[in-house]
Parts: sequence; structure tokens; C-alpha cells
Amino acid sequence: MQFQLDCDLMKGHDKPASGQAMMDCRQGLLESSHVKLPFALRVNELFLKYSPHLDASIQFKNASFSDEAGLHAAEKLNATLDIALKQSADAWLWQGKVDWQSGEVFWQPFYIASGGHQLAASGKLANGLLTVDSAHLKVKDVGELDASGQLDIKDFKLVNLNASLPSLNLATAYPVFFKPMLEKTAFANADVSGFAALKVELQDSEPRVFELVLNDVDIADRDQKFSFYKVNAQLPWSYDVAHTVSFSYESGELLSLPLGKTNIQAQVDRYSLTAPDIKLPILDGALHLTNISASRRAGQWYWHLGAKLDAISMEDFSTRLKLPKMQGKASAEIPLVTYAAGTLTTDGSIVLNVFNGTATVTQLTMQTPLGIAPKLNADIALRNLDLGVLTSTYSFGAIEGKLDGDIKGLELQNWKPVKFDAVVQSSPGKYPKKISQRAVENISALGGGGAAAAVQRSFLRFFEQFNYGKMGLSCRLRNDICEMGGVESTPHGYVIVKGSGIPAITVMGYNETVGWSELLARIKRVTDGNSKAIVR
Amino acid sequence: MKKILLGLVLLATLIGSQFVAAAADLEVNTPAISAIKNSMQARHAQLGAFYASGAIGLTKDGLIAVKDANAVPLAQRGALTGLVKDENADRSRLYKEIAVANGHPEWQAEIQSTFAGRWIDKAQSGWWVQGAGGWTQK
Repeated sequence: MQFQLDCDLMKGHDKPASGQAMMDCRQGLLESSHVKLPFALRVNELFLKYSPHLDASIQFKNASFSDEAGLHAAEKLNATLDIALKQSADAWLWQGKVDWQSGEVFWQPFYIASGGHQLAASGKLANGLLTVDSAHLKVKDVGELDASGQLDIKDFKLVNLNASLPSLNLATAYPVFFKPMLEKTAFANADVSGFAALKVELQDSEPRVFELVLNDVDIADRDQKFSFYKVNAQLPWSYDVAHTVSFSYESGELLSLPLGKTNIQAQVDRYSLTAPDIKLPILDGALHLTNISASRRAGQWYWHLGAKLDAISMEDFSTRLKLPKMQGKASAEIPLVTYAAGTLTTDGSIVLNVFNGTATVTQLTMQTPLGIAPKLNADIALRNLDLGVLTSTYSFGAIEGKLDGDIKGLELQNWKPVKFDAVVQSSPGKYPKKISQRAVENISALGGGGAAAAVQRSFLRFFEQFNYGKMGLSCRLRNDICEMGGVESTPHGYVIVKGSGIPAITVMGYNETVGWSELLARIKRVTDGNSKAIVR
Repeated sequence: MKKILLGLVLLATLIGSQFVAAAADLEVNTPAISAIKNSMQARHAQLGAFYASGAIGLTKDGLIAVKDANAVPLAQRGALTGLVKDENADRSRLYKEIAVANGHPEWQAEIQSTFAGRWIDKAQSGWWVQGAGGWTQK
């Protein structure tokens, strides 16, 4: 550590002539391995009538410093610090001004690239408590903050705070102040614009009042997961009084699904939030959330709500999500969704109306749905799906009939299935059951090599479609291997399609186990419809 | 005598840890594990230069840490600490998922320490690694 100071000193303890400093040090330097602070110091007053009375200004010129790990550091810093300090009966009265002219600072997690910011504050210091009577901070292009409060200097704990930011420019404030704090959230990579006003009140280190107002804020995720435009919000909160909060947006998008104009009102009471009803327009339908209740305990969120999806057009939905074009409308209802400390569970069943039939999801739970490796568990029951609609959606070859299915113990990791017991088969009952030549080929291809109607095909290939009595496939997935079965077992395999009437066809499967990724690849080949299915 | 005893204890711990390593399939793959590995792989391209400059190093508990951010311009330090945080979150999740995929969630800590050794063995020369006595350069 090296310290240099060259000063001109005025003699005597009398007050120097006006405009003349008591001590003028133009060349000061504090230097060590991670610190280089050239500075000029000017002391205007040190004593007044024999009592301590400091009035000084320090100017840092091209200064740099850093802590050992480099997580609190500044470079090329030019700043002036004016300080006045005097002793009164039982306290030190102080007044200070910082003018940060230029230079960059990294104060983990914040990085400020350039200067132009000012802070002026005054207060007193007594009994280990730093009182700020008033502070005014001006951050260039971002906004101005007025604050007062008390800081316990033993542990740097804020005891009281009263702060107000009347007009915060979010476009400039977001990258510097909010982005580093939102690093692990969905809001880490977004473009934001608009203005906000903020008020914060802290008493005895407890938050008492908080009020956030958003004015015409646009926020759009750069990865296009979500966007909200013209967000306006009044979010008052106080420790003692319940408030109504309101939040609205003109339009938006969530995972490519357009969101319509929405207005949400809710009641907040200390650390809980309730709302009887929220309607979120999505596509041509809407999601109704009912009996919403959320609370935060010990740093974790707990909430529950009911949900009902008004019919949305599947054609529109599938186009937006770049899925195969589906027909019909989907609607759903969930009596109760509960979220507790990272796990989402549903009570009752979710009924989806799809392909003229129903898909009922029960026992649905999700862990870290927004994390990198989300997990989902559910049981799914499919009833009376219209095979005509289904097969025209996925270019599979036409099948007429109805399908039932049960997928039990489904476990998805990162949205990919790792475990389930699934059976799909033609629904019981009387209805036309017809299958096209192309669908037969495709089904045979799914059953794996060496399958199928090869023997019968020689003369049956003249027919475009066949009758069937029943059809079905089962797969028990464990460790990426699917144990397959059909509607009946035979000594050498299983029956996938059992013929009936004239012309009838029977499709056999012979592979009892199929690698799951291989099966998926086969389905993809078949539904892509580009290549002809291989039947050996 | 003391030396022999110590030797025996060492041998026992070695066999013990060997046993866990042999029993646990560290290469097990599930969609969750491959998602985490992909995420780590994508990040490694950004971390490579920081390993080389000594800004970050491999810790003895199978994570990474900022060793000396002074090697990195101020403007990039926020990104650096963010990357380290994300990488450690992924690593912890990876150890947990491997333990779960082996059907033994309670093995997480042992899997983590086995990986710690592996990462350090595989570290390129010039990288900083943390041993019992602190940071050393390979």
C-alpha cells in the first residue's frame, strides 16, 4: 500500500480569508495491487472556534479500484465528493454531494457504464445510526429518486426508508437495474419500454407501503415466449390496509398464442392475494380463472384456482403452435389447481373436448413447470375419438371408426415420455369400421419389420378400403423400451387389426419390444407422409 | 501402527467411494438429464475463455466459482457472474437427476463428489482447480 499527499497548508487555526482553502492537496495518490486512486483534496474548514467542523471536497481523477474477486470495482472514475461535517450536542451533522462525472462501475450484480449521475444528501450520525433527512439521486436518463431514512451502520441494515421515484424510464432502467436482478426469471431476456412510478416505505426494517404504477409499458421476451403491450397497472400494497390492485394490457402473446385485451382486478391483504374471477381472452375463446387465492410464506409461493377454457378453435390453435392442423374445438375444465413450493397439482379431472370425443386428464402434477427439466405425471383417458378426423389430421391414411385409449402412469421429463402403460383400441359399439390400404401399410410399418398382411396383400391390394372388427395397440414404456401388444395374442405375435366382413384384412405385429425412439421415428416417417412406408 | 491404521482407513474410504461409483450409473440418460447437459454444453462455449483466463475455476465440490473477475472487463462481469450462477444451478440439478435416475436420490452427494474429481481430472492445463489447499493451476 502506497500513500502520497502533497499539500499547501495555511498557518494558524484562524479562519482563512474567504475563497482560500486551509489545506490544498493537488496531488494525492492511494495505490495498492487492486487500487489506484489519484485524487485532489481541498479542505476549506477543519475547525470552527476550536470545535471540529470539516468542509472538504475530494476529486478523484481517473481512479480505479477493485476488491480481491473483482466483484466490486470501478475504472476510469472521475467524481467529486463534497462533504461537510460538524459536531453538535450529541451528534455529527453531515451534508454530502457526489457528482459522478464519468467512468464505469461494476457493483455485483449491477454494471453502470458511464457517469452523469448526482447524489445530494444530508442528515446526522448519532449512536451508530445514520439518519438521512433528505437524499436526492439523479441517475442520468433513468430517473430521479427522493429518499429519507435511517441506516444502522453496525450491520448496514436499513431501519427506516421512505423513497419515491415519480418517473422511472423502464427502457433505460431495465438493462442496468432490473435485468441483473431478474437473471433467473422469465423476465431475464426482454425488451421493455414505458414508465413506472414507485413508492416504498420501510419501518423497523419491515416493508410497510409499496406502490407501483405502470404507464403504457410494453414488454416482449426476446425468445418470443411472451409479450404484453400497453400494460397499465396500479399496484398499491400496504402492511396494514387491504388494497385493490388492477392490471391490464391491450394485447399480447404467450407461446405464440394471441392474448386479447385483459383487465384484472384483485385484492391484496398483506402477503395474500385473492380474486373471484379473471377472464383471459385467448384466440377465439377465453380462459376463466375462478376463486384465485395466492399467498407467500417463508419465501415460497402457494396458490390455488379453478380454471375453465371456453371453446377455442383447434385449427387456429394448431396452426399457431405449428402442430398438424387439427379440426374441431377444444374446451377444458379443471375444478382446482394447486401450486405449492414448486409443484403444481390438480384435483378432479381436466376434460378436453377433442376430435369429437373427450380426453380426460386425472392425477395431473407438474414439478418446476418453468424450469429447465420440468416433470409431469398424469393419467389420460381418451373416449370416442373420431378416427376419421384424427387420421385426416395426421396424414396416416383414412380410418373410419372410434377410438378409446388409456394412458396410465404417464411420466414426462422435459416434455418427453419416459414411462407409461398405454392401450388404444376401437371403442365398443356399432359404427362403420373401415380402413384404407394406406393406413394398413402404415400400421404394419409401426409394428416393425416382418409384420403385417404381406400374405393377404397379394390380392387385397386391389381394394382401396377394408372392413375391420376391432383394432388396438398397447405399449408399456420402461427405460426407453416399449413392450407392445394388440387386441389379441397369437403364438407368434399379436393382432393389431382384426378383420371382419368382406373385404376384411388382419394386420399382425411380431415385434414384442420396440425401442421408443425407434417407434417415434417410425411414427414420424409415417405421419410425414413423404416417404412410403416400408412393409417387408 | 498409527500409519497402518490411517492406511487402512484410507483404503476403506477408497473402496467405499469406489463402490458407489461402480454401483451408480453416471452415464444414465433421461430427457431431464439430456436437457441439462445440452444447456451446460451451450454455456461451455461462453465459459471456455473464462476458464483459460483464470477468471473462474473448478471447485472441489463439483461446481465452478469466480476466482478472479479482474481478468474480465467490467462490462462483462455481470454476465460472468450470471453464467457461473446458471452453471452451478445446472450442475446441482444434474447430480440430483442422475441420483434419481439411478433410483437412489440419496446418492446425490456422493455423485457430486465423484463428478468433482472427474471435472478436475478432465480440466485443461492452465485452468484453475480447487484442491484441499486452495486454488492451483493445472
